[in-house]
Order: sequence, then structure tokens, then C-alpha cells
Amino acid sequence: MSAPLDLPLREQAAAIAAGDVVAGDLLDAALARIEERNPAINAVVATFPERSREMLAAAPAGPLHGVPVVIKDEWPLPWRAQRFGAADMLAKTAPGESGPYRALRDAGAVIVGVGNMHELGASSTGNVSVYGPARNPWNPERCPGGSSSGPAAAVAARLVAGAVGADGVGSIRYPAGYCGLTGLKPTFGRSAMDGHHMAGVSTTIVSGPLCADAGDCRLLGSVLFGEELRAGDANGLRIGVIEDEVSADVAPAVREACESAIEDLRAATDGDVRRIELPELAAATLATVLIANSESLGGVTPERLNNLDPELSPLGRGLLKYRLMLPAVATVKAYQVRTMARRRLAEVFEEVDVIAWPTLPAVAPPLEAPLVELPSGTLTADAANVRGGALANLTGIPAISVPVGSEEGLPVGLQLQAAWGRDELLLDAAEALERANERRWVEAVPPPASAVQTEA
Amino acid sequence: MEDGNDADDFIPAALAAFGVEADEIELAVMRAAHELFWPPTLELLALDTSAVAAERDPDLSQAPPRR
Repeated sequence: MSAPLDLPLREQAAAIAAGDVVAGDLLDAALARIEERNPAINAVVATFPERSREMLAAAPAGPLHGVPVVIKDEWPLPWRAQRFGAADMLAKTAPGESGPYRALRDAGAVIVGVGNMHELGASSTGNVSVYGPARNPWNPERCPGGSSSGPAAAVAARLVAGAVGADGVGSIRYPAGYCGLTGLKPTFGRSAMDGHHMAGVSTTIVSGPLCADAGDCRLLGSVLFGEELRAGDANGLRIGVIEDEVSADVAPAVREACESAIEDLRAATDGDVRRIELPELAAATLATVLIANSESLGGVTPERLNNLDPELSPLGRGLLKYRLMLPAVATVKAYQVRTMARRRLAEVFEEVDVIAWPTLPAVAPPLEAPLVELPSGTLTADAANVRGGALANLTGIPAISVPVGSEEGLPVGLQLQAAWGRDELLLDAAEALERANERRWVEAVPPPASAVQTEA
Repeated sequence: MEDGNDADDFIPAALAAFGVEADEIELAVMRAAHELFWPPTLELLALDTSAVAAERDPDLSQAPPRR
């Protein structure tokens, strides 16, 4: 039998419920593994063993009773304010009970640590943080993805079996793709968000699960949604594909793995693949960036920008100041583009059940220089990654990244997007794909990070 | 600023107008951001959206209402 900590989230919960595993032992094992493996990947930035033990002592008999999880540094806990990965997050914070915290607590889960994240949630790479960068367990010299870098790295390194991330412009799906995990970006408004410092103003951010496979995402997602995400089937799945830079301007190995996975999914569901058109996609990408950046500026004043914490990275300081210059009329246009994209998607989802394209155009780039080589040339990872991640945040639809391959020893992810409220279908489709490839990719585990040879 | 992409003019002028200070490193970051964001921003501004009435207070958890 595997070490209990290596079991899937749902099997940990079942083993505890059956009395086969003692929850206190599992918590101790998680804390010990964090101590052992975390120094090489910097996924977990805070642990609080006494608080975790108090949570366990008070844990109700919920679906995650006694199961250790990690939560991103984006929500307050009753004993710790979030830092948003930054020395200065331009918002007042204080310890408190956030929606995801309450959902986890009421499900009986035990929060064992706080996950690292990219500074201010502002990148798809995870290579900048007030805590230092998190590292990809598949290769510690590579980006883990962002902004939910720590939650993803923690699950990939099997410090825990499930973690809560947040996705405002791809921030769950990018690290899921880079770290070989399954990550669900829920339909907007469907998952717990109370207590997030931007919950009242953001129209793009959602909380969501990062786990090894779709079954675990279903369980942790059900907890965050406050309702059971029932399993169905994906038979007869109509898969939409697009011939655009999002699926064409990608590294050849990524393209091949994703096309192969789409064919596997089609065959497994006895479905069909249909070509679709999304002419608004390029405009939608910028619109998402404009909206997400503008919504984060509510607390900003010139005086505040002139007095940023000097520990905030130069990148963070420069980007915050640049955001002030984005023209208001462009943001107005961005809302119009949102309407156009939502209407187009409503039509598209009459013809197909899911839209499929690579989560990321290339495997995880180096931490020191996050650039990717694509057929069109060399691009910053952020500029390339946002093409595929933004649409779901702009329009509110759910999306999932599932592992479908490997290149240079680094994972490749396929993204599936569905119509509003069809989060369950995405999980059904992901499970169908897992069956089709005999769970090869969801069961792939990186070597312990400390044993990985680093690049010269 | 004919092509709308002259960061050396645009960024210092905008900073001065807002009364925001920046050091050399921050300016370099802003120039890089401008290179990345400004061309698509101009494309977005050039998009004719006169016929598009944006949804008022859209419910992003649902499909848009049928027109």
C-alpha cells in the first residue's frame, strides 16, 4: 500500500472515515514531508502546526474529515492575513474567516500550510514572490506557473493531495499545466470567494481546486462550491477546436500531445471534433488583461504609488505604475468585447460541448528567464500564455487543465472549456480522458525535488 | 507620438501628469510593459464597437440573455 500521504485526496478521506488511517498521523506525515521536500521547491510559505491540530480536533465529520490541504496566500485565515505574495498589496488585510477557509473547515479539512504565489497575482510564471519563487517539482530550475505557484507545486510534490488556488487570468490552469496537475477554474461566482480582498470588485477571479486528477478536483471542488459536483458521463462529446494562434503557435511537442489527447477524448466518448470560429479571441485576451488590471486599481492613488514598500519587486512597482496609464476608453471597449465574446460563446456552445486547446503553448520555461520558443519566435511566457487562459475569465465560463503528455521531462496540459454552469461536464470529460490514457499522466509523479539535478 | 508607441515620451509625460515618481528600473519595466500592451491597446481602440451595447451588470455565472 502507498504511504497514506501519496493516496489521492478522496482515498485519504475514505481511509480516515474507515478507520484505516489516523488523521493525526496523516497531519504529522504532511508536516514532516513539508519539512523534508519543501526547501527545494518553496511551495509552502507558512505552516502552523498548533492551528492545524486545533482544526483537526474540531473537525466535523465532513467529506474531507482530517485531510490536510494547502491554501493559496490569497485569502485570510483566522490566524493569518494573506500577503498576496507581495511586500505591499495595496489593500488592507487582517486575519479572518474567508469563504474558502469556512468551506474547508466545515468539510472537516485541515489546513496544513499556505501556498506561495506570484507577487500580486500578476504573472503566469510564479518566478517572483516576496517569499522567493516557488519551483517546479519536475525541475526546480523551471517555473511552476502562476499565480497559484505554491498550491500547484505542493500537490505535484505530494506534500498534500489537494490545494485551493485562485484564477483571475488563468492562475489555476497555468500552474496545473506546468506541474502536471488537474486544475479547475469554476464558472464565475460558483465557488467560495468571501474574504478575498478583491471579492467585491473583481469580475474575473474565482477560487478552485488543484489536484492530481479530476476525481479529487470533483471532491475539493464540491467543498468550494458548497454543492456536490455530480458525476455524469461525457458520451457523445462534441469537441470544438480552433485553428488560431492559441492552438497553432505552440511548440510542436505540445501541439502533438494535445491533438493526440483530443483524439483520445473523442474516441473515448464516441464523440466528434468540430472546427469552430472565435474571431473575438485576440481582442478578448487584451480585454481580460485590461479589466483584471483596472479592477485591481481601486485602492491606488498617486501618493500611494509614490510610497510603495521598497521590498516590492521592481517588476511589481513598475507594472503597478504602468497600469495607471491604461486609457479608460480602452477599458470601456473591453467591456463591449466581453459582451461580444459572451454572445459568440453562447452560439458556439449550441454547436459543441467543450472547446479544447493547449493550456500553455510550451512546457515550463526557466525561472531565471521565462521565455518560450514558439513557431512565431521567442516570446515572454506571459505574453504567450495569456492567449489561452484569458477567455474563460473574461466570459465567466468554466475551464479545466488536464495533463496529457510530457516533453523534456516536463508536463503538457490540455485545456477544456464549457458553457456556464457545466463544470461537472469538464470533470466528466477529464475522467473520460484519464480512462482513455490509462491514467498515465495523472499518476506521473516527479522525483523528490531534492534529488533532481539542477541545470548548470 | 505619432505611432502611439513612443515610450520615452509617453511614460514620463504620463507619470508627470499623475504626479507619480519612478526610478530607472521602474521606468525600464514600464517601457517593456508599454511595448507589450500598447500595440494591442491601439488595436482595441480601433475596433468598431459602435453597434455593441455592453451587457449592463452582466451575470457572469450565466450565458448572456438571448437578444
